[in-house]
Amino acid sequence: MGAPVCLEYRIEGNDFMVAGAASNNIKNTLKMLGIASDICRRVAIITYESEINLVIHAGGGILQAIISEDHVDLVAKDEGPGIPDISKAMIEGYSTATEEAREMGFGAGMGLPNIKRNCDEFDIESTIGKGTTLKCVVYFPQN
Amino acid sequence: MLHSVKISREACQGCVNCIKVCPVEAIRVVDGEISIMGELCIDCGECLRSCHRQALGIEEDDWNRIKESSRVTLIPDPVFFSQFSHYNDPAQLVDVLQSLDFNLLIDELEEAFDLCSYASAQMISRTPASQLPLISSYCPSVLRLIQSRFPELLPRVVHVCSPLELAADLWRMRTNTTAPVTLLAPCSSKITMKREPQGREQSPIEQAVTVRRVARSIMASNVSPAPSHTPRERNGRWVQWARRGGEAKHIQAFSDKKLTMLAVSGMRNTLDVLQELELGRLRSVDFIECRICDTGCVGGIGTADSRFLANLRLNNMKTNWEITPKDLRRVEGLYAMDFWMVTKEFSPRPRLPLSDNVADAMVKLQQMKEIYSGLPHIDCGSCGRPSCQAMAEEIVRGHGSVTDCIFKLREGISSLANKIVTLSESQPQTLKRRGGSN
Ligand code: SF4
Ligand code: SF4
Repeated sequence: MGAPVCLEYRIEGNDFMVAGAASNNIKNTLKMLGIASDICRRVAIITYESEINLVIHAGGGILQAIISEDHVDLVAKDEGPGIPDISKAMIEGYSTATEEAREMGFGAGMGLPNIKRNCDEFDIESTIGKGTTLKCVVYFPQN
Repeated sequence: MLHSVKISREACQGCVNCIKVCPVEAIRVVDGEISIMGELCIDCGECLRSCHRQALGIEEDDWNRIKESSRVTLIPDPVFFSQFSHYNDPAQLVDVLQSLDFNLLIDELEEAFDLCSYASAQMISRTPASQLPLISSYCPSVLRLIQSRFPELLPRVVHVCSPLELAADLWRMRTNTTAPVTLLAPCSSKITMKREPQGREQSPIEQAVTVRRVARSIMASNVSPAPSHTPRERNGRWVQWARRGGEAKHIQAFSDKKLTMLAVSGMRNTLDVLQELELGRLRSVDFIECRICDTGCVGGIGTADSRFLANLRLNNMKTNWEITPKDLRRVEGLYAMDFWMVTKEFSPRPRLPLSDNVADAMVKLQQMKEIYSGLPHIDCGSCGRPSCQAMAEEIVRGHGSVTDCIFKLREGISSLANKIVTLSESQPQTLKRRGGSN
């Protein structure tokens, strides 16, 4: 087993124009490793939604992808306001996004449910006033 | 993978304009030789637009030779009818070409484009909402881009052959001739379609020349249409495919319900829309028409006239979008014949990974990251690669060395120079005592 490849990105808050660059980068890295394209797409969706969440809700944060031989760990960490009610946030269509974000077409409340649908393991921890940490795992099937 | 961009090595001066603009990073200049990586090139022609020395061109057949043969059969791309300021009616131009003894497959084209639109409309209405939107297969560069960058989207590409090829099929079916057919193509991309068919085993088109070449040769011949003769009325729907949105409109004309369609043109918009689609962000859209060239095929690299003027002319052209019962009967008959469907799947063409084995690829990826961190990160292109990242990748793939980077080379020379200075200051053994303090 080789050492895992660690990719880390600092995502700035409220910068809608660049959202998507990190997820694109992670997807391309997986492709270079020869990971099946449908797995790459799932990871791209998870990381893109996380990126958007960091941008619109959290005032920025860190996005990490730690790639091992048979899976990838994805972590999105922020020191934002936190999520008061996680079970509510997991309902499709529920959103606390600002007016501005909604005007730009983001924050339709699809983010977290979409992330959950696309990963194999999902864990979210949040403390009001301290921030949120989202952890996901996606496994690479053996070919 | 074939492509139709031709390189003239003598004309190339080694500037890096083309390397920098190629959207898929397919061009390299190594050892003073420009080369295009065929497996990456999507024939979009961006490199041609950037070259000021005509070192890049379109690989086309020899029009001077073709036009000498008797009764040449032509399939003009819709763009062709937007290129002449003095023939404002396509039917007039058809007359002119016929008076020059060219056989134009106009009736077949009209039918083939109707057939494609009808088939696409049928496919959209039969596809479950969760699997919409479908994507147009018309622009061969877009198809290639999907095959290499967005293979996950391939099942969404409509499984309909190019209407240009279908027109040739129709003609052959009806006349049973084997005489060659020549395509007047607006771009390198449609020329590649003939050379390396997609979705079918063999192309029914034998030769391809650019619209530019033929339009200029006709303008030079100075023929005018016979004034007495009134040309046949045509619906002109298919000619509108040359502009952005023409295909979408045509499909709508054959659809019973109002469709939600996006029509995007230009490289940047195409990449963006495909990426958004891949991320699952385009729900409630039924169909996406993508064209690699700005404003649609009128912006093709092999056209003769300004894309703005051409667009304007098409806009002013009379077009009949109403489908008559006769049109419908005709298209339903053709649809039932099934020959319009692709017979070979559009296959994915992903980029080669760093290694066949994930563990091995991970080791190479680490090496790549290390090499990259040592490079200057300014993507200047003087190593002959489009970016520092691409350079790092080539080194681990074994196609280059760190000293191809001129900054690394200079660093190497300067450290060597320092070593020489140090060496030059050290004294020979026999003199050491005299020079030393003790
Ligand atoms: S045609 Fe397009 S893809 Fe091919 S080398 Fe030129 S710029 Fe690159
Ligand atoms: S948009 Fe039209 S002209 Fe441009 S590459 Fe595609 S098919 Fe050719």
